[in-house]
Amino acid sequence: MKAEDVKVCVIRIEGTNCEDEMYQAFKMVGASPELVHLKQLAGKAPGHAKRHLEDYDILAFPGGFSAGDYVRAGAIFAARIKSDIGTELKRFVESEKPVLGVCNGFQTLVELGLLPAFEGVMSETPTAALSTNDSGRFECRPTYLRNDNRGKCIFTSEMKKGQIVMFPLAHAEGKLLSEDPRFVEKLEENDQVAFRYVGPGGAKAVYPWNPNGSPSDIAGICNPAGNVLGMMPHPERVLTRYTHQDWTRNGQPEEGDGMMVFRSVMKKLTK
Amino acid sequence: MAVIEIRIELKKGVADPEGSNTKKTLESLGFKGVGSVKCVKVFEVELDMGRSEAVKAGEEMCRVLLANPVIQSYSVTAR
Amino acid sequence: MAKKALSVKRDVPFPLHDVNILSASDEELKSISSEMGLSLSLDEMKVIVDYFRKEGRNPTDVELESLGQAWSEHCCYKSSKNILKKFVFSVKHPNVLSRGDAGVMVFDEDHGYALRIESHNHPSAIEPYGGAATGIGGILRDIVCMGAQPVGLGDPLCFGLIDRKGELPPGTKHPRYLLSGVVSGIRDYGNRVGVPTITGGFFFDERYTTNCLVNVGALGIVRKDELTNNFAGGPGETMILIGGRTGRDGIHGVTFASADLTSTSDEDSRGAVQLGDPITKEPIIHACLEVNRLGLITGMKDLGGGGLSCVVGEMALSAGECGADVHLEKVPLKEEGLAPWEIWVSESQERMMVTCKPENTEKILEIFELWDVLATPVAVTTDIPRTKVYWHGTKVLDMDTEFLTGGPAYDRPYVSPKVSGKEDEVFPEIPSAGEAIPALLSDLNVASREWAIRQYDFEVRGSTALGPMVGKMNAAGPGDASIIMPVPGSFRGLAATIGCNPWFTEADPYNGAMSSVEEALRGLVSVGARPDAITNCLNFGNPEKPDRLGVFREAVRGLGDICRALEIPIPSGNVSLYNEGSEGGGVLPTPMIMATGIIEDTRKAVSADFKDPGSRVYLVGSTKDEMGGSLLFRKYGGRGGAVPKADPAVFKRISEKLLSAMDRRLVRSCHDCSDGGAAVAIAEMCLSGRVGAEIDVPRDAEESIWLYSESNTRWIVEIKESSAKEFEGIMGGDARMIGRTGGDFLAIAGARIPVSGLYESWSRPLWNVMGGAA
Repeated sequence: MKAEDVKVCVIRIEGTNCEDEMYQAFKMVGASPELVHLKQLAGKAPGHAKRHLEDYDILAFPGGFSAGDYVRAGAIFAARIKSDIGTELKRFVESEKPVLGVCNGFQTLVELGLLPAFEGVMSETPTAALSTNDSGRFECRPTYLRNDNRGKCIFTSEMKKGQIVMFPLAHAEGKLLSEDPRFVEKLEENDQVAFRYVGPGGAKAVYPWNPNGSPSDIAGICNPAGNVLGMMPHPERVLTRYTHQDWTRNGQPEEGDGMMVFRSVMKKLTK
Repeated sequence: MAVIEIRIELKKGVADPEGSNTKKTLESLGFKGVGSVKCVKVFEVELDMGRSEAVKAGEEMCRVLLANPVIQSYSVTAR
Repeated sequence: MAKKALSVKRDVPFPLHDVNILSASDEELKSISSEMGLSLSLDEMKVIVDYFRKEGRNPTDVELESLGQAWSEHCCYKSSKNILKKFVFSVKHPNVLSRGDAGVMVFDEDHGYALRIESHNHPSAIEPYGGAATGIGGILRDIVCMGAQPVGLGDPLCFGLIDRKGELPPGTKHPRYLLSGVVSGIRDYGNRVGVPTITGGFFFDERYTTNCLVNVGALGIVRKDELTNNFAGGPGETMILIGGRTGRDGIHGVTFASADLTSTSDEDSRGAVQLGDPITKEPIIHACLEVNRLGLITGMKDLGGGGLSCVVGEMALSAGECGADVHLEKVPLKEEGLAPWEIWVSESQERMMVTCKPENTEKILEIFELWDVLATPVAVTTDIPRTKVYWHGTKVLDMDTEFLTGGPAYDRPYVSPKVSGKEDEVFPEIPSAGEAIPALLSDLNVASREWAIRQYDFEVRGSTALGPMVGKMNAAGPGDASIIMPVPGSFRGLAATIGCNPWFTEADPYNGAMSSVEEALRGLVSVGARPDAITNCLNFGNPEKPDRLGVFREAVRGLGDICRALEIPIPSGNVSLYNEGSEGGGVLPTPMIMATGIIEDTRKAVSADFKDPGSRVYLVGSTKDEMGGSLLFRKYGGRGGAVPKADPAVFKRISEKLLSAMDRRLVRSCHDCSDGGAAVAIAEMCLSGRVGAEIDVPRDAEESIWLYSESNTRWIVEIKESSAKEFEGIMGGDARMIGRTGGDFLAIAGARIPVSGLYESWSRPLWNVMGGAA
């Protein structure tokens, strides 16, 4: 497939934000992104505006907020998707098409049961939760992340194992919890851990380097098949070096760290 | 017509920073003897049906939308 | 009750009254105004009597309420209009694309950027969370109705001392509570609509205790060919009301904003405070921008103060002597039973009005339908300049549009303020630099704002190149201005910052206002941006008091003079008067400036943190004995003294040189000298870069003045040894080397302070008061 033939559905509902930069990210790697309202996928739009999920090659859930996150971050978005296009979404994931969820998108994927998805591609009820940050506050700050994936995740294939990148984050609920006592072990066994927060130089992250208190410093996970990635930090906010927090201090390459996530998935689809 | 009250709270053992920060603030404002402070969310829903039916509907609402079973428990009472 | 006696219920199946003003005595006119909550003076009531005498009838309650809104200070600037005309409106500039609800300036060949700042002071003093949130909503609508996508927010806030102990005046809420509520409101609204909060400021002073100031500014980006009008295209067009339903919330908001706060404002005025709904707002932004992009509309305006009563007339009148026929029963309501006058003046949030040719109505409604946003045709424009309002066929308002929207303008009496000078200066006892510098860094007006900044999403939209904090990750210090890159794929940057010095302005309104503008422009130059425009929110006291008006007049004169001299346009602005507080003492005169600049290549931007050891440190500009209103004097009890003056010619010369040095990438870091003077500026550069410095106070300088004077047009810059010669060549006599970076200490004026200690002093104070930790 040629890059420009890769159709990306950047999905949104009322109150979604961060969709413009997600759109821009896919544009910069040569794909053909489109901002699509859930109602367009659910057949609740006039004829010329109707869209079908199966016509897309990548599905991206932008970060920020959705529907004000009033009940719980991502919950309203997830519930509406489930009732409107649940079957189509399940089929999309089963066919191993890539799905990316950033920040609110990650929260939505967890609420949808698409992550961690230890059994089946999509659980009936959520099996994990993104809980309130330990600080009790919204946190907007840059973070260092280490790629801990051993090769399963299709969004990190262009990164070396152990490579450290800088993505910023901004959220109030990012602490990944599960009731499963073997949660982290299972994630490790299945090669589902994508990113961990680290301190400067790769040191163990303590607050504020782990900004939300997530156990085992987990910042992003993929599903067992590796085609669904959810993460709290925002790769689409660092497409150039010049939106990195400390770029005025360091003479580094022009390209921002976030591009690697988008390059990785495009490489997979265009090879 | 029934009115149900849906109470969503964090399960035991799940950190409640909103509660603990509120406790800290209350203490810093000079309130004495503050024990634990818990943050609880309550929805009041009017339903055009009988009470027991309404409670059942409320529980379904929790399963589908209002609660995440990993961190939250819920209770539904009719008033 | 005068109203009962003088108003006669019309025999119709809904609330409508004819108010008998034609035969009312002066006393009765006054009580009609106060009991209907019109806030109109006797003279204004008499003008209205004359008008209706010519019409040959008494007004309805709808008509009187409408005039009460339109003629409020908030809507028609009746006390400030003539002063602004005299001093400020004459500042012209070819790069101004529009002076609509927001100003619009040229950004690049294809784009303009919109800017505006306004106040939301009184509602926030009553209900800080909702007040601040709706302030953000309102300012975003002003940007959107120019056809612009909002790309940045700025929120300068003024409160009493948050660590205040002891009794508060009756009806006043603790500044700490107000700050916490306002910041939460900005956070929850700004973050939810996905617009980064990139600049702002906190100003703490006892004189804001009973009347906090909440100013909110916003920036937007618009393609030049999509720039829209805030009025209809002509007669025969449809007016479509967009967004939220109309309710009783926010009734009499503008008349409330145009009267002093009192100790019972709390209970009296809750109705005037609106509740915001960011989840309605966000799709409104999308949908409004979409119908504009598709060329379906002729004009767009937000419903702010005065609600429908102000927007309908203004949109019709500016279309060229048009009028409008309004069918009020079509307005979607939150609750049954609202009287026509309530619907007409309600300030319910999240509403906009668009006008269109009738053939486009259906297409527009379809787009709003997709976004689940209510859109209802409620009026048509006509070719006679009268506004007519109907309720199920009964005419409830029929007035000349110009009379309705025009409003009076006053030349109220004023007295020129006494100005502080060198002759009345009392220089305080001050401790050694080793003690004073950490103390100044810990002052609430200097200390880190991280507690608030990190609750705001300052990076959403992924275009923030310089944020409000700069320096090492998670140990960052204060920046001078933020830079965003609003056009995807382009490195052209839009810089924004806030400048204001209420203490200078109190001591010397003319020079204080000029210094406030200079400070803002200086901040832009610090990051490498060329100053381009300012917008302002002028927060002053009761204009009916001659001394207050004298202060306002002098400040506006200063504003106009510096902007004219520097050719900096002011394409938008806002005035908030009657900031008196429940005690009537008045707030500090506060001319809040939001300045914008352009940096052609953001990759050349400069941040304030020291980068390397072994660099040279220069002071750019010259230090004068101008200690009046300085942080040092406030901290240690100094009095009087001359306030820093701004010299536009000097600013122009030095800033051009500095920008040219930055363009050649000679400058490693740069920070402007403001609160606390050179000493605080240097300390901040050390703590944000975690690099020490050895500084020599020049022998020919008076030490305490050199360290702490807040003279304008000064920056501290870091230059690599290898660039020093070229830098000095550009700057000539305008830069003087004062030391070198390096080590873990700041050594200055006999003091040796560890950089980690500077960071502690600066970073902790707000956390200590507000709770939590970095």
